[in-house]
Amino acid sequence: MRKRKYTIPTYFAFGWLGLAVFLAIFGSFLPVDGYQVIHGDFIDSPPFTAGHWFGVDSNGYDIFSGIINGARLSIFIAVVTVGLGGAIGSLLGITAAYYRGKYDSVVNMSFNVVLSVPNLVLALALVAVLATNVDINEAVPTWRRLVTLIISLTVVIIPILGRIARAATLAWSGREFVVAARSMGMRDRDIIKRHIVPNVLPALIAVGFLAVGVVIIAEASLSLLGVGIPDGASWGGMLARGRNDLEYNPHALYIPIIALAFTVISTNHVGDVLRGRLDRREGRL
Amino acid sequence: MRGTYWLRRLSQLLIVVFAVTFGCSLLVQLLPVSPAEILLPVGSPEERELLTKEIGLDRGPIGYYTKWLGEFVRGDFGNIYYSGGTEEVSSRLAVALPRSILLMIYTQVLALAIAIPLGVWSAYRVGRRADKVISNTLFTLSSIPNFAIALVLVLVIGVRLQWLPTLDYQPFSAGIWEHLKHMIMPVVSLSVGLIAAYTRLLRADMIATLREDYIIMAASKGLTDRRILWRHAFRPSSVTLFTSAALNMGALIGGAIVIETIFATYGVGFEVFAAISGRQYIALQSIVGLIAIFYVVFNLVIDIVAGFVDPRTRDRRSNA
Repeated sequence: MRKRKYTIPTYFAFGWLGLAVFLAIFGSFLPVDGYQVIHGDFIDSPPFTAGHWFGVDSNGYDIFSGIINGARLSIFIAVVTVGLGGAIGSLLGITAAYYRGKYDSVVNMSFNVVLSVPNLVLALALVAVLATNVDINEAVPTWRRLVTLIISLTVVIIPILGRIARAATLAWSGREFVVAARSMGMRDRDIIKRHIVPNVLPALIAVGFLAVGVVIIAEASLSLLGVGIPDGASWGGMLARGRNDLEYNPHALYIPIIALAFTVISTNHVGDVLRGRLDRREGRL
Repeated sequence: MRGTYWLRRLSQLLIVVFAVTFGCSLLVQLLPVSPAEILLPVGSPEERELLTKEIGLDRGPIGYYTKWLGEFVRGDFGNIYYSGGTEEVSSRLAVALPRSILLMIYTQVLALAIAIPLGVWSAYRVGRRADKVISNTLFTLSSIPNFAIALVLVLVIGVRLQWLPTLDYQPFSAGIWEHLKHMIMPVVSLSVGLIAAYTRLLRADMIATLREDYIIMAASKGLTDRRILWRHAFRPSSVTLFTSAALNMGALIGGAIVIETIFATYGVGFEVFAAISGRQYIALQSIVGLIAIFYVVFNLVIDIVAGFVDPRTRDRRSNA
């Protein structure tokens, strides 16, 4: 009755994500030039030039190196923010839905407040405030930009995942086995740990994949606006740089776009597949 | 019963507006440097003190907020401070807001005009090839960030083919076609993701509706499929669709930062960006407050509209 587990697009999605994570972790050990090495003789060369598979942009930076290096920041930021935001969001969401009452109203209302401001507006405003220097001409160091970026994007992610956690917990905490556990005198903490979290987690992981896509796009948008990590260090940064001379050097633009799009399509697809499997699991009950 | 529902809903939404604007004003207070120093980088201490008084920063967090709020409801959104002088935020918004609203309306009309037929059709043909093709194509398109679509459009249609202008906004007075020419690319890049999202929502609800007894009843009466789909099934299936559309209306005003920047449309989203990069925190606070108000208004509108579209939701809500 059961058909094969995954379809071909799903294997592609997993494959691409695996590759991206591999590059993010081991990219700097690969025998490829650093992304900031300038290849003066090859400026503007198109893709498939010998030694420069993806071509060279008009500053002389090799795009292949850029993609490999950019994977590190893009993936790192996405994983850290979704991890942090997911942890905080689900902690708030699960406890709110489990204990209900005033605490729940406050948490739910705060989620609504944060969600009422468009993602990018919120992230931009937070980045701006957190990265403010006394002297406007003083450059903000990269590590501080990175930390700011992560904090801001985490704030964006918290209500997205927190709401899912809350909704799922509301559904589960009314179930018989939870009521039974409570009537047997199990402590709330243990009920949450043993009965709620394992059931809520699959839904969270599925939405977590979607959230990774959201963060990658947000990071790229911020870079495009010039408030991300500078110097083409992430895929979004490469876009921002490639945008300046798209007329003579379109591949400096479309190669990072393809990398970004593939990644987001993959995370969305995996999230979707996981969610579909969950619905089926629920449907069998 | 229904009166209390609306009262509760309204108070919830008001709390959102207050919380958002208060949060913004707290952010201004939390700046590592005094805003007066940022706004007047070359001013004398006396000038800065005067500015601090004028903005109300000497009154503490609550005093500052109430002063800002009092001016905000009277339509005074504060000033943007240049080295040469000041400019009222409200006069900038008077230019930017109509642009953003037009952009939002075009985007929604285009997205809904394409998504509704697609959603109904793919629900009608659920599981068949047409449904699979539509769903998979839209899923892929929806995963592509809108700025990527925008940049590709600029590259292909604007730069290579030179069919459409890549920058700037033209008002109606410059001619309808001139106006639309500048809007096509921003609208298309914003719509693609929405088309996919809307089609998906409508398809899911429509599939559920088509399984209901009254649809089988209608079919057994011998009504045509077309009539059943549009007259009997579409309306009750469209509540989620329109709710989501209303939420997006708020997000499109002010949220289209990247698109408005790429195409130099200079709407509210661009003003947000300009306020941030120019470190105009008072302006930022007022603009974000305005965006939150739009979110709330559209939320209320959709609650009312949903009651008309599907009368069942009225009772369901008043019981909840």
